[in-house]
Amino acid sequence: MLATLRQILSENWQWRHQIWDLAKIDLVKTYRGAALGKVWLFTKPAVYILVYWFTLSVGLRHSGDVNGQPFLLWLAAGVFPWFFMSDAINTGSNVYRRYPYLVNRIKFPLSVISTFYTLSIMIIFACTMLFTIAVCLLTGVHLGRYLLQLPLVMLLMFLFWTAWSIMLSPFGAISKDFANLIKTLSTPFFWLSGILFQLDSLPRIGQVIMAFNPVAWCAEAVRDCFVYKEWIWQRPDELLPFLAVFLVVVLLALRNFRRLSKEVPDVL
Amino acid sequence: MSSREQLPQIDLGDAVVVRDEDRQNPVAVRFEHVRKTYKLYKNDRQRLLASFTSRVRYDEVNASDDLSFVCRRGEALAFLGDNGAGKSTALKMITGVCFPTSGTIEVHGRVSALLELSAGFDMRLSGMENVRMRCQLWGLSASEAEELIPEIVDFSELGKYIDQPMRTYSSGMRARLGFAFASSIRPDILVVDEALSVGDRKFAKKCRTRVRSIIENENVTVLFVTHSTAQAKEFCSRGIVLSHGRTLFEGGIDDAVAFYEST
Repeated sequence: MLATLRQILSENWQWRHQIWDLAKIDLVKTYRGAALGKVWLFTKPAVYILVYWFTLSVGLRHSGDVNGQPFLLWLAAGVFPWFFMSDAINTGSNVYRRYPYLVNRIKFPLSVISTFYTLSIMIIFACTMLFTIAVCLLTGVHLGRYLLQLPLVMLLMFLFWTAWSIMLSPFGAISKDFANLIKTLSTPFFWLSGILFQLDSLPRIGQVIMAFNPVAWCAEAVRDCFVYKEWIWQRPDELLPFLAVFLVVVLLALRNFRRLSKEVPDVL
Repeated sequence: MSSREQLPQIDLGDAVVVRDEDRQNPVAVRFEHVRKTYKLYKNDRQRLLASFTSRVRYDEVNASDDLSFVCRRGEALAFLGDNGAGKSTALKMITGVCFPTSGTIEVHGRVSALLELSAGFDMRLSGMENVRMRCQLWGLSASEAEELIPEIVDFSELGKYIDQPMRTYSSGMRARLGFAFASSIRPDILVVDEALSVGDRKFAKKCRTRVRSIIENENVTVLFVTHSTAQAKEFCSRGIVLSHGRTLFEGGIDDAVAFYEST
C-alpha cells in the first residue's frame, strides 16, 4: 500500500509541469467545437440556478433568507459545488475512457490522468466561486471572515475527488456497466444530498446517514463559507465522518490501483 | 524535463522492468524470458466480477511466451512473423504502455513509438494542439517545442489542415502527422509498427528516407515491425522471427528473411 502511495505521489510530482498544461487542454477539449466556447462555462450553471430558483421560490414558495443571507446565494453555494462533483462522478470515475491514447498509445502514468482531469474541473469551479464572490460584492451582500476557509475546502474537495477517480476509473475501463451504474447514481446523489434543501430539516437518522455522504459534506462546507458562517471544524460530527470516508476512499484507491492498473491498458 | 526522470525500476510481482536513459549502455533493449499473458473472460461481466474476487474462471493467452532477445545500441532490428505472433505486444512492452506478466525487460534510452499508425492523438483537438501536447508530454521546453513544431508540420505536408480538428483528418493524414512527430523528436529508440506503408508513394518514399537517415545515426536504435520482407531487408541489419510469442530464429536479416519465408 505504502509503495503504491509513494509511486502515485512521485508520478504526480514528476509530471507536475504537464499536469497544469493538460488541465488547460482538457478545458479546450470540453468546449471545442462550440463557437461561443468559454461562454458555455457560465451559461449552463446560470441557467440551472435560475431554474432551481424559479422552481423553489416561485413554484414551491420556499425561499426565505437563510441565516440572514439571500436564498439565491444559498442556492449558488450548493449548486456550483454540485456541478463540480457531478463531473467528478460522471466523468471522473471513468476517466481512462476519456483519454484512451494516454493509456495505451503513449507511456503516461495513469494516476496523473485523474489528477489533471480533477484539476481541470476544479478550475471551472474556482471561476464560478470567484463569480459568486464578485456578485456578492457588487450587490452588497456581507460575506465575512469565514470565506477564508474556502481554499481549504476546495483543496479537500480536489484531493477527495482525485482519489475517487483513481479508485473507480479502473472499473470504468474494465466494464461499461460500471460506468453506467455510477452515472445512474449521480441523479439520486443530487436529490438526496441536500443541494436543494437544508439538511437540518431531515430527521436525526437522516442527518447521521448524510454525514457519511461526501457530496452532502462538500456542499455544506461551501455553504459554511458563504451562508452558515461556521468553521468546518466547528461541527466535528460532520467533519470526522467525512474524513473517515476520505480515508476509506484513499485506501480503496490504492488497492484498486495496485491490483488493476497494469490490466487497464490490456482491456481498454 | 520531468518526464525524463523515470523510476529506474518497477517491480510487478514476477516481472521486472528496468527503464533508464543511459544512452551509453551498449544494450538498448533486452528481453529475458518475457511472458505476457492476456486474460480472456467469457464476457465483460465476468471481467468486472474478477476485479472483486479471484474465483472467476478465465482463459489465458500468451502473447509473448518465454521471449528473449537483445538489441544493441545503434542496431536496426526487424520483427518478422505472422499475425498473432506477438510482434506488436513486444513493441508495446518496449514502449512501456503495457506490462509483462513475468520475466525481465531492460530499456535504456527514451522510446518514441508509432503504434498502429494514428498513435496517440486526440480527435477533438486540432493537429497543431495535438503536436503541442505531445511535445509537452515528451518533456520538451516551450522554446524547444517552438523550434521543432515547424519542422513537424512541414514534414507532415498538412498545410492549412494543421489547425483543423483531428477527427476531420483522413487516416493517411493522421498517419503522416504521427510519423512526422515520432521521427522528429530525436528519440534514442524508435519503434515503428507497420508505419511505412502509409500515404501515397511520394510520402512513403519520404518516410523511408527519414528512417534511413535515422538509422544512419549510430546512436539511434530502430525496432521495426513489418510484413514486407523487402522493407525489412532495406532497413535492418538483423531480424527476429516470432511465432506464437516465441523466438524461432535470430540472426542476420538475410538469413532471418530466408527462414521466415521458408516457414
